[in-house]
Amino acid sequence: MRRGYLKPWVFGIIAGSMIVLAEAFAGFYPPAAYSFCLTCHTRDLVNTFMNGIFGAHFQTTILARRILMLTSPSVLLGALIAAHGYGEYRRQKSTHPLRYFLYGLVIMTFGILIFGCPTRIVIRTGYGDFFGMVALAGMVFGIWLGTLLIRRRWSRSV
Amino acid sequence: MTVYGTLILGCMSMLIGFLAQRSRMCFVAGVRDYILVRDRELLMGMFSFLITLWIMTSLLYAFNILRSGVPEYGAPAIRVSIEKIGTYSLSVGNLKTLFQKGPTGGIGLLITSRFLYVTLIGGLVIGLVSTLAGGCVLRQHVLLAQGSMDALFFILGFYGAVVIYYGFLYRFFVRLY
Repeated sequence: MRRGYLKPWVFGIIAGSMIVLAEAFAGFYPPAAYSFCLTCHTRDLVNTFMNGIFGAHFQTTILARRILMLTSPSVLLGALIAAHGYGEYRRQKSTHPLRYFLYGLVIMTFGILIFGCPTRIVIRTGYGDFFGMVALAGMVFGIWLGTLLIRRRWSRSV
Repeated sequence: MTVYGTLILGCMSMLIGFLAQRSRMCFVAGVRDYILVRDRELLMGMFSFLITLWIMTSLLYAFNILRSGVPEYGAPAIRVSIEKIGTYSLSVGNLKTLFQKGPTGGIGLLITSRFLYVTLIGGLVIGLVSTLAGGCVLRQHVLLAQGSMDALFFILGFYGAVVIYYGFLYRFFVRLY
């Protein structure tokens, strides 16, 4: 086992309690279950800047008027510190740039539509939101379809 | 804008990013690995996350500390307070309204609410595309920090989609609600 490797269930407990405690004691609402979401917070961050710089009227949440949603850059920074600190930074060339660009476009568009990245879908399910559960069920079904495609790709390449 | 809240959010996100890099956590890869090779490790991460949230929210609602939503069955219906979609409210999906009779509640209203199908299909597409991209959004951030250039293009598309969505697609997609 690699040095400093953390079990995923430990991550679940630490991150889950931090997210709920942040909402309860730092007042990260409204909307509810909003203290961590990469899609929605990125949306708020970009729209705040677009509104401030270009005078657009893109929608933001009420929370985004109080605090600056630096979630996505902060996650990047934290992961960068971890990757450099444990010597796991390895530059890999891009194989399919356009394909990954389109993946990002699609995930963000549908994430805005259903108000959540995969993380927030799980958070909403934990909060007991019915639509979060529906989204999680849809996501599991989508992953199952994706594994079928991956299997087909494997059997073609072998 | 308060500096205080921004700092708390930034520190929390940094810690989550750090831990996610150390544990290779991914919410999509958990289910994917279980389906493909019956590897339970990442799935346990997702379940512990879910159970922690469930216990913590139930406790905090019971002691009336968490007040962000309407406390129903120990957890809120999420109220979307985004402006311009003011009329649309997720509280339709609240369990209490599910069992109410009459024009304002009930299963009939839930099934006819278009947002149910939008959520189902949106979740399906997110799961499918995340599997093809090799990880959920959190994992793509971590991969970019580890130096994967594929993830860089993913994040570029991710940020670009916000401008495209609110510049061009918003007027079509807002009718779905």
